[in-house]
Amino acid sequence: MSLRSRFPSPGALEQNTPLYRNSAAPRQSSITVISSNQLQAEAVARIEAILESVLDAIHNRTDLVIPYRSIRSSSVSEKPEDGFVRFPGRTAQEAKRFEALFRIIELSHEALISGHLITKRNIYYQNVDLFKSQSVVDEMVDTLAYTLGLGRGDLNIVAAAKGLISGPIDLIMRGGETIRCTQPADGLLLPMIQTIEKVDLYEAEWLLVIEKEATFRTLAAGRYHSMSAAGTGILITAKGFPDLATRRFLYALQSARPELRMYALVDFDPHGIAILRTYRYGSKRLDHEIESKVPSLRWLGIRSGDVLARDRPESGQDGQLPDSQSSQESVSFSQEESEGPRPYKRVRTQEARDPDDSVLYLTENDRKKAIDLMTDICQYELDNYALEQLQELQRMLMLGIKAEIQAVDDFGNLAKWLDKRLKPA
Amino acid sequence: MSKQYLAGHRLDQAHPTNIFCLAPTPTALISASGASSLLIHKTTEPTFPLQQRIPNAHPLGCHHVCTARGGPGKVAASVGFGCEVKVWRCKDDGEWELWWQLPEDKTARDVWAVALSADEAYLACSMSTGQVQVWDLTTRERVQTYETGNNINQQSFGMAVDLSRDGKLTASGHQNGSVYVFNNHSGRRAYSLSGLIQPIRAVAFSPGCKLLAAAGTAGIIAIYDMEHGEQVANLAAPGTNAAWITSLDWNETGEFLLCGSIDGKIRVWDVTRSVCVATHSETEDTLWSVRWLPKTPGMKGEWFCAAGVSKTITFYREATGT
Repeated sequence: MSLRSRFPSPGALEQNTPLYRNSAAPRQSSITVISSNQLQAEAVARIEAILESVLDAIHNRTDLVIPYRSIRSSSVSEKPEDGFVRFPGRTAQEAKRFEALFRIIELSHEALISGHLITKRNIYYQNVDLFKSQSVVDEMVDTLAYTLGLGRGDLNIVAAAKGLISGPIDLIMRGGETIRCTQPADGLLLPMIQTIEKVDLYEAEWLLVIEKEATFRTLAAGRYHSMSAAGTGILITAKGFPDLATRRFLYALQSARPELRMYALVDFDPHGIAILRTYRYGSKRLDHEIESKVPSLRWLGIRSGDVLARDRPESGQDGQLPDSQSSQESVSFSQEESEGPRPYKRVRTQEARDPDDSVLYLTENDRKKAIDLMTDICQYELDNYALEQLQELQRMLMLGIKAEIQAVDDFGNLAKWLDKRLKPA
Repeated sequence: MSKQYLAGHRLDQAHPTNIFCLAPTPTALISASGASSLLIHKTTEPTFPLQQRIPNAHPLGCHHVCTARGGPGKVAASVGFGCEVKVWRCKDDGEWELWWQLPEDKTARDVWAVALSADEAYLACSMSTGQVQVWDLTTRERVQTYETGNNINQQSFGMAVDLSRDGKLTASGHQNGSVYVFNNHSGRRAYSLSGLIQPIRAVAFSPGCKLLAAAGTAGIIAIYDMEHGEQVANLAAPGTNAAWITSLDWNETGEFLLCGSIDGKIRVWDVTRSVCVATHSETEDTLWSVRWLPKTPGMKGEWFCAAGVSKTITFYREATGT
């Protein structure tokens, strides 16, 4: 029997309290209230129950026990002692683990009681010797949340902000401050969802999540959110693989404003499709984080068709040479273009640039990753979205190529391509 | 002089997803797609009825299937996206069944393209590692392993492979544009052919084993003479944007070369005169596979078929008697 099932599911708790304070009012104002988290009280109760049991154990001179259920253990065969960390335990290592876990629980409790948020980074720096590495903290925090049947945010523990947002909307913070998301011009660090009380979307019709920070910054600096032919919108990036904070922000907007059209723009490679899938379906590791999946997110691109279309003459002038330079030489590849992170704040300029720098061969790793993704997709019943992802992965493997978002931009100008696709269907 | 081919029949939405490969036998056409089933269509009847469906052949879809060109048509081999390589055989009653599967160890996990010898005794595989392997189908053993490139680090993804009908030669086409020909008897590399630089997506020996055609991203077809390993012709469509070529096939007499490309165009080349004698552009959807059908008693004239992103198999027949 799973520990998780001993607690009421978080969803059940929420049914008693209205999710949005103005949910009864018809949507006339452009202001959207972000659901305040109802589970902190529950988290305090559960943590205090653990602390009490530890105190009792000290009093009774028995082993100190903290429930601790590994996220992965549900699938592999479980040893009887799994699901708990004991002190003193059988090994020095387990004693250390207990100490680290206890410290995290203590810090979370402190944060919950005081109403502040604590970052995972901050926890690590509270006791570097104890935790040894940041990844130990990350793992423990998520496992603890999972064990308690809560989300990481319910423990008032958050990751350092990573996402950027840009667009003519206002974030009204719990402290009363109002943040205009057009400043700074190339993106505002997305605040924690817990700190936002309301969002004023004004006229925003669409939201675009962009994988690449460089592309985001170019579009934001060019005020694409306000200048788009598809109407006003919001630009967001999580700088690659999405963090929980960005996913939860999207979730909150989606549930508060279902009519806001949400799109994802990712690279045409297995990593890009994995990112898309993480936004839509969540990640395996953080599957217990409930309010973080955005199934309405649409895949704007780029797909194989976008990449191949570059090499075709515009329809309507069949048989004509498109441009003098796009002869058979037009698809030359560069293996050199590194996959590494782009320099911070790099703004793509409109200089002449070979558009094919952004089309590369698949590496052995890409192929493996593609097959893993396909295996994952095929585990479930295929709906149209899943089928499309599967097909694009297959085409990618057949073609043997991948392409970055820049492959479709017209020498740095992505706006034209976006204008066509961001319009309502 | 141009030749005329007419769209003779269409199997609309034959598969639910992209059709990646076609492989004909004297009486049937096997089609493979992004879905898990292989389909076998009867080619002795004008409506090409479905003869058999092999469900769950490849759970993640199938990218290559081959039969022996000029062979009896009793054996086929298919490769799935999940990396499994299956060898199929046709029973006397015409039904296909799994014969055996290449071992799923490290050696066979990297297979990409496959080709069968005309006697259906050998299977050539191009590997993602750049190697080329030849398997003996009856003993189920690997009989040749060819290295490509000048050293291990220079080996490039093997995107295409073919075996000559006499069984003497194996050819492979690679992502880095190189084409290699190996002598199966001596086990040595016969030729290293250059010229196209960009990825080679199809290689095909002529039925007489005298010529090798290679094509791919460059959008042109290079013809190499197998006696001396020299390039003897370059087939390039004039005045058009050269789209990537995905598939090549010689007709039975070795006069004509069929080629399919990513922009949906099908071309028939007269190889001796180096001219394109027919162009078809019914679709703009990428074609993944084009194949001539062996002549059958019931069908007049020469036929070929094409399939790809449109999920449809289109059959073309030679316009005759006018």
